Amino acid sequence: MGTRRAAFDRPRTLWGVTALVLALLYLPLGVVFLYSFNSSSSLVQFDGFSFQWYRAVLDNGQMLDSLRVSVEVAVVTTVVSVVLGTLLSFGVVRGMAALGRPVQASVLLRVVTPETATGVALLLMFTQLGVTLSRVTLVLAHVSLCIAFVAVVITSRLSQLNHEVEEAAMDLGATRLQSVWLVAIPALRPAIVSSALLSFVLSFDNFITSFFTSGIGVPPLPVRIYSMIRYGVSPEVNAIGACMLVITVLVIVLAMLVARLGGRRRTPDFRQEDATIV
Amino acid sequence: MLAPSSLVLLLLFLAPLAMLAAYSFGTVDVLGRPQLGFTLDNYEQAVQGYNLAIVARTVWYAAAATAICLVLGYTVAYTAARFAGRFSALLVALVVVPWLVSYVVRIYAWKQLLGDDGIVNSAIGMFGVTPVSWIGTPYAVIGGLVYSYLPLMILPLYASLKDMDPSLIDAGKDLFGTPRKTFWFVTLPSTRTGVIGGCMLVFLPALGDFATAQFLGGAQTTMVGNIVADQFVASGQQTFGAALSMGLVLLLVVTVLLGSLLNRRRRGRLSDVVV
Repeated sequence: MGTRRAAFDRPRTLWGVTALVLALLYLPLGVVFLYSFNSSSSLVQFDGFSFQWYRAVLDNGQMLDSLRVSVEVAVVTTVVSVVLGTLLSFGVVRGMAALGRPVQASVLLRVVTPETATGVALLLMFTQLGVTLSRVTLVLAHVSLCIAFVAVVITSRLSQLNHEVEEAAMDLGATRLQSVWLVAIPALRPAIVSSALLSFVLSFDNFITSFFTSGIGVPPLPVRIYSMIRYGVSPEVNAIGACMLVITVLVIVLAMLVARLGGRRRTPDFRQEDATIV
Repeated sequence: MLAPSSLVLLLLFLAPLAMLAAYSFGTVDVLGRPQLGFTLDNYEQAVQGYNLAIVARTVWYAAAATAICLVLGYTVAYTAARFAGRFSALLVALVVVPWLVSYVVRIYAWKQLLGDDGIVNSAIGMFGVTPVSWIGTPYAVIGGLVYSYLPLMILPLYASLKDMDPSLIDAGKDLFGTPRKTFWFVTLPSTRTGVIGGCMLVFLPALGDFATAQFLGGAQTTMVGNIVADQFVASGQQTFGAALSMGLVLLLVVTVLLGSLLNRRRRGRLSDVVV
């Protein structure tokens, strides 16, 4: 029993494992970042500092086209998903339970259904309806994914808000719309901001769904990287990977700052959205 | 307010899945285009020896990845919830950041690390260990799945550990004695919702994954997702791909039902299982 006691009672072992997990989580990202500055094309030996792979990326028009597609798709997806996802949350939380329940169940199912299944399903639907795969189908597919994550984040916050405040606003003469726009939405602002950033990151970095729904035009960045890796590892991928890493981390840091400025709750309780975008 | 947005879910989630289900009973014409119909051929093909082995392997890889994630994730979540003090949210955020970094970049990073002349092999070479061909082994694929989905395990575990009243642990120790028993009979059961939620959030996406097996695996580690992707992107047979995807959906339904059944004794709502 002696070793067991150590494991559960003394945090040292737990901290050890936690540190190891964190190291393993960051090691690959660190390697991508480090080797993106390598002056040789070696992926093992670091031969000195250079920007040549970044220059290669900048000179690669196709790569920049893909970056633009990814950003555009992520921005449109975010706007559409946040608006629709917020509406959905109001319907689920404030509307009739008989309608809200099945909708909420489909939101949760959307979150857990493997993207391979939903991706090929969308591909099949688009092709059978004669819709050519393009940036539009890509946005539709991303919205279908991101709206569920937005709805999960906002529904959980909205159900914590006291409905009586909105009712009080209506008693004081506000219309239903005003009570939502002037009372509920401001209270939801941190949740809306986190869900927008989550949705941007999910869309920007999405691979599986994009792989099936982007068609033959300019592929979004993750799909472009995928086809590059098929021909083996290349230091150029390190550079573009490092750029994506920086963009993602910037968005997360932005989310943290906005969440802090937006007046964080003081209670120590924890919800999923805090973890995804603290 | 529900109407326009639930229409999106209906048209872009449920309708495509329904079409997928319909075409899984269909056939392909001479040009390889899927046609509606009613035949069980695609399903028969899916449970043929070779394909069934792939389905079984997929379930095994996903289950193994889930088990490893549970052990590692519980440790990290427990440390964060109990011992990290005011840094606990920061610790969880640190775990989540890599998950938000592009999935292909992460897989690519591991491909680079585990390659025959990669960093892992040169590191173990320094200790005189002969290099190992990691790529193509089940270890690489399962490890890749663990890496991809570990944060999804930690979030619900952390949430339920935070919800749990820590004085229960003291009470448990007062009553049962050993920390081990307290863990098994008090802590673990009180965080059941988190365990079930975390396992589902790892197991389900791992089932459908295909890029991990493609880049870190080889001919011996093909997963269902690879076969599905081949049917739809390469010149495959889409109806067969549809049947295999329906297999994934079926596994999803079974897992969700099992999860909510296990959860029922406490709360028993789907939302508790998933979120």
